[in-house]
Order: sequence, then structure tokens, then C-alpha cells
Amino acid sequence: MRLKVPTRTASNIALVAVLSGSFFFSASVAPTQAAEFGSVKPQKFDAKKAELGKRLFYDKRLSGDAAISCASCHDPKMGFANNLPLAKAYPGSDGFRNAPTLINTVTRAAWFHDGRIGTNLNDVTRESITESWMMNMDMRIMQERLKQDPVYVKMFKDAGYGEPSNGSVRKAIPEFMKTLTSRGAPFDTGKMSKSAKRGFALFKGKAACASCHTGATFSDSQPHNTGVPENPDIWSDPMRHHTFVAYAMFMGVENYMNIRRDVGAHVRTHKADGTDIGKFMTPTLRELKYTGPYMHNGMIKTLPDVVAFYNNGGGKDPNKAKSLKKLGLSKSEQGDLVAFLEALTGDPLTGPDFVWPGNINTNYEPIANWRNVPN
Amino acid sequence: MMKTAKTFSVIAAAAFVSTVQFASSGALADEYAMGPDINQPLAALGNPPIAADNPMSAEKAELGKLLFFDPRIGGDASTACSTCHEPKQGWAFSDGFSRGYPGTVHWRNSQTVVNAAFNPKLFWVGSASSLEKQAKAAAKGGVAGNGEDDMMEARLAFIPEYVTRFKKVFGTEWPLIKDVWRAIATFEQTLIHNNTPVDLYLAGDKGALDEQQLRGMKLFKGKANCIECHNGALATDQKYYNLGVPAPERWDEDGLAQITFRFEQYAKGNTQEQYRKIKDDGGLYYRTKEKSDFGKFRTAPLRYLKYTAPYMHSGVFWDLREVVEFYNNGGGTNIFTDGSFAKTKTPLLKPLGMSDAEMDDLVAFLEAYSGPEIEMSPPKLPPYKALPPVASN
Repeated sequence: MRLKVPTRTASNIALVAVLSGSFFFSASVAPTQAAEFGSVKPQKFDAKKAELGKRLFYDKRLSGDAAISCASCHDPKMGFANNLPLAKAYPGSDGFRNAPTLINTVTRAAWFHDGRIGTNLNDVTRESITESWMMNMDMRIMQERLKQDPVYVKMFKDAGYGEPSNGSVRKAIPEFMKTLTSRGAPFDTGKMSKSAKRGFALFKGKAACASCHTGATFSDSQPHNTGVPENPDIWSDPMRHHTFVAYAMFMGVENYMNIRRDVGAHVRTHKADGTDIGKFMTPTLRELKYTGPYMHNGMIKTLPDVVAFYNNGGGKDPNKAKSLKKLGLSKSEQGDLVAFLEALTGDPLTGPDFVWPGNINTNYEPIANWRNVPN
Repeated sequence: MMKTAKTFSVIAAAAFVSTVQFASSGALADEYAMGPDINQPLAALGNPPIAADNPMSAEKAELGKLLFFDPRIGGDASTACSTCHEPKQGWAFSDGFSRGYPGTVHWRNSQTVVNAAFNPKLFWVGSASSLEKQAKAAAKGGVAGNGEDDMMEARLAFIPEYVTRFKKVFGTEWPLIKDVWRAIATFEQTLIHNNTPVDLYLAGDKGALDEQQLRGMKLFKGKANCIECHNGALATDQKYYNLGVPAPERWDEDGLAQITFRFEQYAKGNTQEQYRKIKDDGGLYYRTKEKSDFGKFRTAPLRYLKYTAPYMHSGVFWDLREVVEFYNNGGGTNIFTDGSFAKTKTPLLKPLGMSDAEMDDLVAFLEAYSGPEIEMSPPKLPPYKALPPVASN
């Protein structure tokens, strides 16, 4: 199923609303920036590399003090996200943002809620492993840890990477990410309820969600300010606040000691007038049933609350996107929209293809005959 | 045997008195009798140099003490300076290798902080040129503190007592990480051990050393020729030697130690070939990249030894008798002495032919380089507090 929807401009959205009695749209309808909905394409991946990436993903030895793994925050049971409003951080710090899902992350154009990495998952992997409040790992030590584990030595070799190395870790984990693609959602199988179908029409029409939530993962990969309220727990908790300050210092944010709000994508664009403060990347709408609470700071607990938030025209912020206006959706319409959003959640990715079975032995056996074998 | 009553005025007179004493006893002749260079005479230790750009103050030292014991100066807020420089373990760490950051082990022996202020260069191969730089390097090193500057500095802003103290001492609105190293350096300048029996003796108190210790001192300066390198007021020439200290067996037995060993070879910029082949600590080579410096480490100062076992850069000797026996045998062998990697053993080391009794005497003299233990309880650390909820943007 391939649906083409004209989006982006108010006039187009109005046009969509008129036409939304039909399930299909013609691409000929003023497709200034046609966005394709549809299923997320399965990614081609190298099975051995992905298998290696999977083990790395669940291995706590990839963090500085070997206390946390990628999966500590990106839990497969929670859609490779986390149900804490604000994620945990590396020990000694605490988090200031919600952990985003990693399902379909390979399709993104920029990563993290502020979009600060816009290159590729290789860089995202490096950032996540080395950043002081995430995994705080000196990757040179990590590399030597991996060489100490005969299971890894074999897996890296079998995957064609040679001996374990930083560079290969930064390739193997993204390879595993390729396996995390949505599948089996009612939206994809054509088994949406009538309510969900009505919701889809609203999504594209009256509610204008599709002006940002476009494409197969329902994200334009752009930052927007929707006026999501600040999470007060960041600013009342020194463990979270100091973590934010360290982040702001590193990202070159001015006046970081006096800020009491998450500046978001300002760290990418650093606009002098501050109009980019408070923009956050449009999240995917896939797998939402697993990944609540919602928004970059987990401030909205349920999908009905999210819909009510947008129905009210978003939150309060001087930089809020002008396209956000009160929607005038009835309770019933809001219910339909929620039903549609829920229909974007597919099969849980919790089987052995996605979760390393059993415990990883994190002890380090000595290399035998150490003095006489090459390092 | 130790004296407990010491005064600064006695020590201050040390240089003058010791000169007189050596001249009158003929000891100077012993000192200059051996070795190619002129050895500085042993002398009582005075006070450490204080850099003009980081002057001493009581407030700064007190702040530095708090920071020294504060694990928030580190990666996961578990590992303070004091974790590997523990007052009850000689302000060092009582294992061959230092403890290291959680999930790691270090690869060298932790050196005592006591009297570190006298050393012109720090670490086993002198890779830090000041206390401030040593503190920074240790707090950030992956197998030590694993801290990151922005994170450590950010934490301090949320500890009101630190904000107040830094403002008073350094005049800044918020604590700055560079001032953390300065305060810690100042605190370390207060950890001075200059009241040992040897110091008192060299300052003129003839009763400070007993007969056995005096025999040991004679050996030290004569037959055993320790003074060839352990000379001057600090009992070190601050030079680097390969003694042939055997490689620690822990590398054969402990996977974690093997990991750190390879990490260090990688991090210190070895060639690929060296990384593959090397099986011991290359020492000064990592700084100079001169092959003639393989396996060399700085002559260690001798004060406070009583509290800082085990000994040598890799902590392979567990008591002073073992150390003395090592030298009596003319040092040892390792891959930097036998030609398998380098051949840099110092020619100064030769079998000494000391008897058991003489070695006991030498140990007794070495022990006289330690006075009363410097005891200190960890301070109560100030808590975090939220900042006022003002928004100025």
C-alpha cells in the first residue's frame, strides 16, 4: 500500500481535508512535497554483522564502568525505548530526556531529540558510547575488552571485520539496527478498525498531523517547536540539571548556568535571536503503544493526552510553530485519532532475533601463554 | 626506632648541619667514591616549592582536601583521588597495580601523594610537569578517574559549599575545573613528611638513628651505593633507569590486567609491531620514543616507604627486604635487559655481596626514612542542591 499525500502548506492541508472521504489520493493533487505513507521497508542486512551488533548492544562492557549497556535505556520490551519519562544516564549523572525508540532508526535523517547528529548511525554509535552522561567509554579500552572475549574474537572474524576494533563496533551496531524495522501493524496489514480509518483521515486532514508526521515512519526528520511544557524534574533535581549543564557546555550553548529549559535543536543552529530554542525532532509514530510516555521529555503520559495537547493547538511557547492551531476535534474524533496512532504499532521485537538470549559472560578470562603470543 | 618530637627550626638548619657532619665524618668521600656523576649529599628535607601562579593558602588547601576525597571528581562519581591514594594505605594503594576505575585495573603501582609536592615531575616516567597537571591527568584517565571536564565542572555548580569556597578562593562566579586541579595541588603541598629519623639525624640530632640504622646508612652511601641514584634531600636524582625489575605475573593470570596492558600500548602511540610484541611496561620510552629509554622509570623518593608497600613501578616487591635483595643481586632481568626487546639495563647495578646482616642494616636505614604516619579521616562531603528555579532566557 502506497499512499501519496500532499502536505506542508495550509492550503494543501485544507485540500486534503476536502478530499479525505476517499482512502486514496491522487499524486496529481498539488504534490508540492508529496509524502509517502506506507509500510517501513525491511532493510537488507548482513546476518553475521547484525548478530555481532546484537551482542554488543546488550553488553554492559561497552560502558566505562561496565554498568550499563545500550539496552539499559533502549529496552526491547518497551519498543527499544523506555517508559521512564526521563531516561537514566551513566552512573553519577541522571538523564534529562526521554529515550527515543530505536525501531526504524536507520531511516532517520538526524538523530537524538535535538538532531545534533545528522550524518549516520556510525557517528550516533560513537556519540552514545563515548558521551560522558551516556556510556562514558574510552573506546580504546572498549576495543581491548572485546579482544579479551573469545566469543567476540570469533564473531568479529566471522563477520569479516578481522579482530575486534572501535571502527567495527561502530559498524556492527548500526547493522543490528537495520533489523529493527516495524512490521505487522494493522496499518500495514490492512486490518485497521473503522475508528482507526477515520482517524487516518483526520490525521491527514482536519488534524493536520501529516504536515510533520510524514513518510513510512511518520516523521519529517525536522525540528519543530510544539510548546511541550518543560519537565520540572530536570530543574529541581541537581543530578539531572548538572547533566544538562554539562551537555549545554559541550554544545556551546550560551548562558548555560541560567537556562531553565531544554534548548533542543538550538544546539544545531545556534540562532542568535534564539528562535530555534525549544525545537525538537519530529518523532516517529510507529510503535507508540510500547514507547510511552511521550515527547522529548516524557511530559505527556498517554496517547489521548497527546491528541488533546494538539487539539488544543500545542503548548505555550513564544517560538511555537505557527502552524499549530486549535483543531476543534470532538471527543469522538480524538478517539479515532488515538485508534489510528495505535494502529501504527506492530509486532513486538522481543524475540531472539532482537534480544541476545541468556546472559553475556562479562568476566575476562586470561589469555593463556600470554608472554608468548602476540597482543 | 623513631623520635616523635620534631620542630621545623631543627629541620630548617638541615643543609648547614649536614654539610658539617659529612665533612667531619668523612662520609662525603664515600659518596663521591663511586659512580660517574656527582651525587648530591643526603640532606634533611625542608618545605616543598610553591609555584608563584598557585600560591598557598589555608582556604585553598581546605578546598583541595574536600576535592581530593570527592568521587564526583571522576566519571561515575565512585572514584576520588583518595580511592587510589588512600590515607590508610600510605596515601597510595596497597596492591601491585593501583585499583583503577571500576571495570578496569590500573597497570602501575600507585605512588604515594606524601611529598609528591617536592617532585619536579610526576608519575613513574615523569609525564606530568606539575601537581596540577598530574591531578588532571589522573582524574581523566580511562583506567583512573575516567572523568570528563564539562561533567565534573557542572557537578560542582550544584554543590553550594563548593560554589562559595571557589568564589572565595578563586573569585569566580562558578567553580572552574582548572581551579579544581590548583586546589588539589595546594592540598597535596600540605602532605609533607620531613620529620623522619633520617631528617632529624641529618639536621644534627645524632641520637635520631640507632647503631643499626647508622650501619645501614654507611652501606647506603658506600658498599651498596644506593646513593648513586637515591641522593640529595629527596633521596632521588630524578633520573630514569632500567633496573631489570621483573614483569608482574598478574599479566599472565588476570584478563582485566591484560586488557589494560594492551590499552596502554595502544593509547601511548606505539607502532603496530611494538603493540603486538611488547610484554612489559616500556616506561620512559612512551614519553621519548627513544629505544634507549625502554624499561626506564624514575628513581623513587624513599620517604614514607614504611607505609607504601608494595614497591617498584609495578609493585612486584612486597617488603623492603625483597627490594634490598633485588639490588644485592645486581637487579634483575626483563625484556628490556635481555635484548629481546631492548638492552637498557643500567650498568650501575652490580651484585653487591652484602651479607644477611648487612641487608638487615640497610632495611633498617630505609625504614628510618619514615616518620609518624600521616593520618587523616575523609572529610564530610558537601551535598548537591538544586539551583533556584529562575529562568533568565
